[in-house]
Amino acid sequence: MANTYTLIASSTVGLLGAASIDFTSIPSTYTDLLLKVSARDSTAASRGAFSIRFNGSSAFNYSMKELRDVDGTASSTGVTGQSEIDGGRTVGTTATASTFGNVEIYVPNYAGSTAKSASIDNVLENNSTTYYSNLTAGLWSLTNAITQVTLTCTGSFVQYSTAYLYGIKNS
Amino acid sequence: MLNGGAGAATSFDSIATTTLSTTASSMTFSSIPSTYTHLQVRVFARSGASADDFRFQLNGDTGSNYSRHGLYGTGSAVAANGVTSSGVGNLGVIDNTASVFSVAVIDILDYTNTNKYTTVRTLNGYDANGSGYAFLASTAWMNTAAVTSITLFPSGSSFQQYSSFALYGIKGA
Amino acid sequence: MAAGSTYTPLATSTLGSAAASVTFSSISSSYTDLILIFNCYNATVDGGSPFIRFNSDTTTNYSYTWLSGDGTSATSGRDTAKAQIALNAVTGWDTTSTQPGMNIVHIMNYANTTTYKTVLNRTSLANATYPGTEAIVGLWRKTPEAINTILISLTAGGTFATGTTFTLYGIAAA
Repeated sequence: MANTYTLIASSTVGLLGAASIDFTSIPSTYTDLLLKVSARDSTAASRGAFSIRFNGSSAFNYSMKELRDVDGTASSTGVTGQSEIDGGRTVGTTATASTFGNVEIYVPNYAGSTAKSASIDNVLENNSTTYYSNLTAGLWSLTNAITQVTLTCTGSFVQYSTAYLYGIKNS
Repeated sequence: MLNGGAGAATSFDSIATTTLSTTASSMTFSSIPSTYTHLQVRVFARSGASADDFRFQLNGDTGSNYSRHGLYGTGSAVAANGVTSSGVGNLGVIDNTASVFSVAVIDILDYTNTNKYTTVRTLNGYDANGSGYAFLASTAWMNTAAVTSITLFPSGSSFQQYSSFALYGIKGA
Repeated sequence: MAAGSTYTPLATSTLGSAAASVTFSSISSSYTDLILIFNCYNATVDGGSPFIRFNSDTTTNYSYTWLSGDGTSATSGRDTAKAQIALNAVTGWDTTSTQPGMNIVHIMNYANTTTYKTVLNRTSLANATYPGTEAIVGLWRKTPEAINTILISLTAGGTFATGTTFTLYGIAAA
């Protein structure tokens, strides 16, 4: 029987941290991609930016629309023509120790020849009034099949940050 | 190593499920195996109280060890709130309207990792044809212990008959 | 028919030409939840929005509550007594092929014959003209029956573009 939901690769950040988490040579044999990310940022703040790129491209072909809760205030923002998808925030070093975010990224039809949508649900907790959560719609307007996903934050991902890439297969 | 083909093992397993035949003040998944990397709980439930806060605790911890927030729509307004050092975690809201069941998809990442607090993300809501909520909830359980039990409960009442809870394990290796 | 593995593709439909709707029928009752996923743009009419109906019910047995961000404003709203559940409540989908949107639709406890049915939907549309990131909770209030048919269509005479793939997954519980 076909395995629908399959771990493709995982990454666990070691003691020295990681400037990025990269999944490369992603096989085209699945239908959709699903990433689960539990990360913390080395930036000296309560939170840093969390970003996503495809195929290593930093060309200005990314857009996003975000619904968010920032420190207890709901709002919506959006940008077009960016060099990456703003996926929300990661927990920074001044936040409560040992807290890591919880992010899910879903990219349907990643190996197809159409522009790529992404759904990003992201929460981080800090046991304080500084807080961030978001429901984000992402877009990469190029039609290339996705073979690489790169995650970055403001600083570096700290030790114990993890990311898991799953393939979802529809047949 | 990249896993590319049809021979790869499936990563999404059903661990346990419960459907209530009568009311219950809470529902607990216990003795959760440590052999997975992430957990997902899928909930289909009704409370005995209207727009009841949907809460949880991990490993039986009733101390003030939870930080929780919510971003939600009421059908007429958007709101956000949060509580720090709370005794409960936040899963959103469940309702008591007859035959209307609230739903939740609860994701817990790295639940066995003892280097991290546990952060829980939930998409939840209900619609009762004139009332309802759509909710993004989050909680940090400020304890690095591996999660071995999850207790779910409506804060103002009990789960009603036919409420259903399913626990899934997601492998990370 | 017994359930397959826990997360199983039940049916896939890929459009060979633009189509106004897609229907999944004879859905097995062996699973607990369904997840419907599709990613596309509107091939015909700017502003048409996707919606779903169950078991060919076209009566006003549907309602939904949404939480939405359009890139400028955070809003919440509700529609009651409708003939379908909207999968993009605030804006429509336009005809720009390079700006598609996607939906992840959870249809929970779909096969029970005791309760109304509740749907949890995530819409992601980072379209410059019709943007929307939404969480929508929908209700189907027909006298309880198992869902065996799902219609996905667009309002305002829209059509799903050629090549759009709709996949229905079954989630089995222990």
